Amino acid sequence: MMDKQEIYTWIAQTLVDTFETDPARISLEARLYDDLDIDSIDAVDLVVKLQKHTGKRMQPEAFKTVRTVGDVVDAVHQLLKQ
Amino acid sequence: MNIERVWRVIATGICFAVFGIGGIAILCALFPALKLVPGPMRRQRYAKAVIHQGFRTFVAMMTRLGVISVEVRGGEKLARFGLFILANHPSLIDVVLLMSLVRRPDCVVKSALWRNPFTCGPVRFAGFINNAGGPALIDDCIASVARSNNLILFPEGTRTRPGESLQFQRGAANVAVRGPTAVTPVIISASEPTLTKGTPWYRVPQHRPHFTLTVLDDIDPATALDSSMDAGLAARRFTDWLQHYFTREIACRT
Repeated sequence: MMDKQEIYTWIAQTLVDTFETDPARISLEARLYDDLDIDSIDAVDLVVKLQKHTGKRMQPEAFKTVRTVGDVVDAVHQLLKQ
Repeated sequence: MNIERVWRVIATGICFAVFGIGGIAILCALFPALKLVPGPMRRQRYAKAVIHQGFRTFVAMMTRLGVISVEVRGGEKLARFGLFILANHPSLIDVVLLMSLVRRPDCVVKSALWRNPFTCGPVRFAGFINNAGGPALIDDCIASVARSNNLILFPEGTRTRPGESLQFQRGAANVAVRGPTAVTPVIISASEPTLTKGTPWYRVPQHRPHFTLTVLDDIDPATALDSSMDAGLAARRFTDWLQHYFTREIACRT
């Protein structure tokens, strides 16, 4: 079971690997769409990768309200606790 | 203002009126008749054929009235099915010109046209793709090409503002990369800025605008990309690639 720091590290690395996001721009407060140029299509790819990595089924709907990287970390943490 | 230009203002008004009446006529008369055709897919194909023929007639009317002149280069490349056609978007009539050229046209249409009384009939009956955005839109586009429609998309998402550089959104590249499907590029150039964004219809250009539509060779996204790439990254790269390509091809035609 990953803690929040591990989840954050994994997400940050995945953003860099998958979308060549500039690591300097990634923070908990960074907004996915406005700051990191991650759109809803990218978000679906990200959820698929998360499922593979955690081995846990996740519905994209669980991420509907996320805005920032920190929101994603919280959402993943919640899902993994269930 | 000389007499020729005054005539073009009047003729442009006539064209808008005919377009509106045509849309209403299709809504009220023609397409209800299509209900007699069995099967939703066949019905959509008939509707697309009606729109294609309607726009052919409409473009012929615009040329006859002297509002515009049109020239097509490489038009034989459009005589196929299942094309994913990308074009730049300098004027309001781009989609009319393109749909007059391809059979079984499909198009991503902004949601507002589903509510506009002049356009809601045709867009509904022909099953055009509603621009709801997001992953569903990409899937709808891929499915349309797979059903051998000729899907027309403007990667800019909206008309180019005169004098501004092209700004492609990622949707077009996402469809091409995830389809995967080749792209058929069409460069639209007008000798005079015509019906551009933010210009009222009656402000016609000084001279009669001449539209040139140049159909270029298909582009396979794989040739422009490293195949091992994730789709998300490939879509970003291909967006940049297409934007450069269109910018270059437009520049050498003006």
